[in-house]
Order: sequence, then C-alpha cells, then structure tokens
Amino acid sequence: MKALAAFWLRFLTLAAFMMIAGFALVRGQSSGIRVVNLIPASLSGETNQDSEPFLAVQTVNPQIMVASAFTPNPFSTSGNAPVYVSEDAGATWVLSAITPVQRMTCDITHAMPTGENHPRGDLHAGTLACAASITLDESESNDVSSSAVMNVQSTRGNVDQPFVRALGISNTDRIYVGVNDFNQPNGHTATVDVSVDGGATYKSFSIETRKTAGQDGPSVRPAIAADNTVYVAFFGWRKFNGTVATSDVVVVRDDKGGTGPNPFQALKDPSDKLPGRIVVKRASIPWSNAPTLGQERVGSTLSIAVDPNNSSTVYVGWADHGSKGDIYTLHVRRSTDRGVTWSKTDLPHTTIRNATNIALAVANNGTVGMLYQQLSASRWVTHVVQSRDAFATVQDLILANVPANTPVQQFLPYLGDYDYLLAVGNEFRGVFCANNTPDLTNFPQGVTYQRAADFSTKTLTDGSGNPVAISIDPFYFSVPVKP
Amino acid sequence: MNTSRFFLAGILGVSLLGVAAMPQATGNQVALIKQSSIVFAGTVSQLGATSFTGVPKSAQTAVVRVDSVLKKPSAVSLKKGDNVTVELKDPSAFQQGAQATFYTEGWIFGSGVAVKELGHEFKTSSGETPKPAGADEKTYQHAQEQIGDQELQDRLNSADFVVVGRVTDVHRWNAPKSATTRVSEHDPDWHEAVVEVQSVLKGAQVKGNKVVVRFPGRNDVAWVHSPKFAKNQQGIFCLSKDQASGVPTAMVGGRQVTVYTCLGHGDSLPMSDVPRVRSLLKN
Repeated sequence: MKALAAFWLRFLTLAAFMMIAGFALVRGQSSGIRVVNLIPASLSGETNQDSEPFLAVQTVNPQIMVASAFTPNPFSTSGNAPVYVSEDAGATWVLSAITPVQRMTCDITHAMPTGENHPRGDLHAGTLACAASITLDESESNDVSSSAVMNVQSTRGNVDQPFVRALGISNTDRIYVGVNDFNQPNGHTATVDVSVDGGATYKSFSIETRKTAGQDGPSVRPAIAADNTVYVAFFGWRKFNGTVATSDVVVVRDDKGGTGPNPFQALKDPSDKLPGRIVVKRASIPWSNAPTLGQERVGSTLSIAVDPNNSSTVYVGWADHGSKGDIYTLHVRRSTDRGVTWSKTDLPHTTIRNATNIALAVANNGTVGMLYQQLSASRWVTHVVQSRDAFATVQDLILANVPANTPVQQFLPYLGDYDYLLAVGNEFRGVFCANNTPDLTNFPQGVTYQRAADFSTKTLTDGSGNPVAISIDPFYFSVPVKP
Repeated sequence: MNTSRFFLAGILGVSLLGVAAMPQATGNQVALIKQSSIVFAGTVSQLGATSFTGVPKSAQTAVVRVDSVLKKPSAVSLKKGDNVTVELKDPSAFQQGAQATFYTEGWIFGSGVAVKELGHEFKTSSGETPKPAGADEKTYQHAQEQIGDQELQDRLNSADFVVVGRVTDVHRWNAPKSATTRVSEHDPDWHEAVVEVQSVLKGAQVKGNKVVVRFPGRNDVAWVHSPKFAKNQQGIFCLSKDQASGVPTAMVGGRQVTVYTCLGHGDSLPMSDVPRVRSLLKN
C-alpha cells in the first residue's frame, strides 16, 4: 500500500513538473527570462513603426510599469498619444492614451519615483509635441491605471530630446530631465531641468562650460544614486561639419541632488580646471539623419549608470566612428572614484562594432547590465550583457535576432535613438524595438505575443484571420541579475 | 454632449413612447458619428463590470457583447461576439440584456477593447437592429463622407490660401547665415517648392502667379505626416504663412515674397478633390 502511495506521489510530482515545464516552454520562453511583444491583442491589425521605446518601473510596487514608443493614438488623429501600462510585472500590457501630446509624441521618456507614495504613480514624463514647432511638456500622473490624461506641470519650446530620471526623497519626487536646450546662451545647450518638488517647479541648469560648435549633441543623460549623487553625461560638441561631430564625452556630478549653490560643478577636468570631467576628448562621432547603420540613423547614442549602493562607481557608454571601416562603434568606460578618473581604454568586451542604442544599468549587487543592438549579417541583434567584474567576464544573452532590411522604414528613427534598461531588485528590465515577425528562431530566449500571431506560419493576423504586414514593435524583457 | 439632455430624452422615450431613448435628433447624429471612432450594435451582458484586466471597474462600466461592428479603425480588432467594456454616460438608462447601438470613442486597448460612450440608440420596439442615424447603410456611408467634408472644411478655414497649381521647381532651402540654425534629429531639412498657381480657391490673387512653399524634406518622426513635394506634382495646396522655418520670406524673380507652409496631413490634395473643395468653400 505504501509502495502504491509512493508511486502515485512520484507520478503526480512528475506530472506536475512536466506541466510546469511545458507551460514555461510555451513559445520557447527560457526559465527566468521574459520577452513580451507589447502590442495588445485588440490592436492586432496595427502596422505602425512603434520605434524608440522607453520604460518606467514603480520601484516600491514593481508590478506597475509604463512603457512608451512612437505609437500613435489608435483611434483618433486628435486624441492623446498613448503609453503601455502593465500591472502584472510585464506579463500583460494595455495601451492607454494618457500623455498630454496629440496623436503621437516625437520624443518621450519617463520615470516613476516613489516619494509621493502613489502606489500606481507617480509617472513623470518629458514629451515632445511636434507641429510647426517642437514643444516640451513635463507632466505627471498619480495613477497610471486611472486612464486620466497626465497633468502638464511645465511647458517650453526650442529644446530637444528630453531624458527623464527621478528619485523619491522625503515624501516628494526629485526629477531630472536632460535636454538639449537651444535657449541657453553661448551655445552651452547641454542642460538639466531639476525639480525638487515633484515637478511643481523646475530650474534649468546649463552644464556645459566650454566653447562649443554652437551647441552640444542631443543626448543629455542623468543618472541618480540613492545618496543624492547625480551624474549627467553629455556630448560637448567642439566642431561640427554636418556629417561628423568632434565631441568630448563629458560627465558632470552633483552631490546634493542639484540643490546646492553651484549645481553640477563637483567634477573639474584637470586639463582646464573647468567643471565637467572629459572622459574622452575629441571623439569623432558620425552624424547622419538618413539610414546609415542598416535602416537606422546614427549620431547620439549615450548612456550613464551609477551603482545604486556605491555612488563612487559609475559607467558611461557611447558610440563613435571606431576603427577604420566601422560605421558606429560602442565603448564603455568606468570610474570608481566618483568620476574623478576613468578607465583609459574601453572595458573588456565593450568595444562593439556597428552597434547602437546602448543602455547601461547597475543592480543592487553591483552587477552591471548593458543593452545594445548590433547590425550583423543584415540582421539586428539585440544583446543584454551582464558582468560582476567590469566586463572582464560577461554573460551575453541574445534577446532578438531579426531581419534588418524588413520592414522598410516609415520614418526615422527606425528602431529608436535609444532603448532602455533598468535594474529592479534581482532583475534587469528593459525595452527594445524589433521586426515583429512571429518566428521563434528570431527570439532565442523565447517570446510572448499579445497580438494575434501564428508562429507555425510565421504570420501576424488581425484577430479575424486576415494577414497583417510585418512592422516594428516594442518588446519588454526581464532577465535575472547575475548573482 | 449634454448628459442631462440624454437623461431627459431617455426618460421621455421610455415612459411616453414605450421605446428606448434617442439620444439626439437624427440631424445631429452625423456629428455623433463624426465624434465616434468606434460604433457598434451590442447587448449589455453585465453592468458595473469590465471585460478585461487593466480597465478600471466602476458603476459606469458595463460589458457589452458585440452584435455587429459599424465603424472602427482598421488597427482595432473587434468583431461580432467580442465583449467590449463600455463606460456609460448614464448607467441607470441600461439594464442587462438591453440592445443598442453604441457611439463611442476608444479608451483602453488590451486583451479586449474598452470604449467611452458618446451616445447610444436603443433597439427599436419592432426589434430592428439599431443603426446609426436610424437609417440604412447608405445613410451611414453618406454620414461618413460628410465627416470627411467637415474635417476638410476645418482645414480650408484655417488656411491663408488655397490654390490649385503645379510644382515647377523643388530645391533645398539654405537658411541665410543670419538665421539661427540648430542641429537636431528633428531638423526638418527645409526644402522649397515653387508652385505655379493655376487658380486661387481661397485668398487674394497671387502676384506673378507663383508661390513658394517650404516643406520638410526629412523623414524624421516629427515630420512624417507632412506632405513632401516633387517637380510637376499637381494638386490643391492649403497654405499657411510660414511660422516654422524662422525666415518667412524668399526671393522669387528678384522679388521678396511671402513664404508659405503646408505641414498638416491632408493639406495637399489631389486634383480630383477640386470640385469638392470648391463646393465646401462656397458654404
């Protein structure tokens, strides 16, 4: 009798294991890794170029996330531009038209700090609205699941590429928006908009102190540590001839969250004693507003990440011409003394040819993550790399390997001028864009589609069985942090 | 849309006529169709409920089973038998099993569709399937054409000039050195099209019969919906004075002339639309 019971126990255990394993292997999803196409089932007929993704995670309630892309309002040319909202840690997403911009943003980034203690907010976004002129809105939502349109807190024109980071401190949110502000005098356009009161008021600080070629590059990227240290990386353009920017890669630092008397001047370069540490001097950065790397344009990929528990350690990544014959080459450098000195050469495994969209993040245990997209053999290959030892040894996962020549671009950017990576607890979470052909061989870690897709015939449908053309879609992913 | 008028109409309809409410006079239903992005006939299956997660449930939400779809954007997956969440304007007007045509705008898109009611029309007492404007498909199609006219009318009203013409030259515009130029991924890369005016549909006569139209040559996301022009292109041009490039004049034949832009989707129309535009401009 006991033997029979033991047999059934073993049988049921095995059966349960096989069921779980079978479920986990649906669409080939690897254990602990999640890749999800964000397009909802009810928009299965869409064929937009949903490029340039971004992601915000509510850190105290990380089930709540907001993602964005160049996704137009699906039902109205005059309605609000939408964002994707997940309330189950990225398993499912809905599209909700809550941004203050009409129809479609032409730049959007966002963050969800936790200072104001809104469990489904606070979402702070920087959006560009594109009409005859380009206007920046800095806006807020206290509850992203409410579907209420975000409240615009600040508006101004003549700026480019807002990049939002935020930190919750003492019941309020501090918001840092990197912008290329053409209103700044003397061509010192690299700017950080700082709010220490949840977006109610902003102050703009130019962080460029050197002579420029009339302006700096578009990318101005803040990174914040929990101890109030704020780093900002930017391209200090020294010369520009229309196709190449001769640019310094500059990092500034502030130790009081940008609230002191001389904000962002803590780092001075030994060469000229001016604020802003020059990590790399006079890099040759190709600038092309036409398809150059495959169908993608190039010119401003830049990322910075600080160790959340050790603000002395900071990484910066960018792309330039690289070696002869390269189109666009990624590099990563590191500082372990609060940006005072930097590695003289690229960290191991971080000189990556013909690649773009670098995004760096550092997890609580010090593991650094790097997301990038590389053009290889006419395919866009999306990598997420992790390292515990400054990239001396790496774990390299390929999330997507898709055709680069299809679909034909509808506009630029094709995949985006950026993608994004965040560290949340024991996970790296991020977003990237890719050709959406439902082909499991394109997604080595597996994938889940919300939209109607037939993986056996590798075709999309509109939900009623009619075929839908391949397009660019945003994908969410999470991978466990390397212990 | 006036909620109280809806409510009153509902009470009157139910209590006096024994049939369900007509939300507005038929003549105004064209406007209702124009406002609506999704129109469908359906049956209320559950009040105070939602059809998929991610939609905030409230006393105003109801699950409605789709009986037929009358209007929807092509990207939206919606078909007979689907359950839709409708945020009702006045839930007290509905009971489980009620059948109506719902005039709605999109709200939330997830595993299903959620919409916000703009108006409704209950199924008639004779059991007919409710249709927009209380009429047949031809009437509905006619209403949709009128919507296009209304949008076009708005564009024509906002334009400084509307001309029929032919593009005789296209060239890149080089901003004068005095102009402030910025390098951005959203740089429009302004081009100029010289349009030989064949007739003026709105606005004063054009001196020299030529206008300069500045347009973005760049295929950046900021300008993807703006018309791009090619030599010998003929059509209708809805023109506004240039407030975008920073230099609102150009030299043509030794003369300084005002420059126009044509930036909106639909600001450039084919010649086949000339009779329609002429007709609308007479109104």
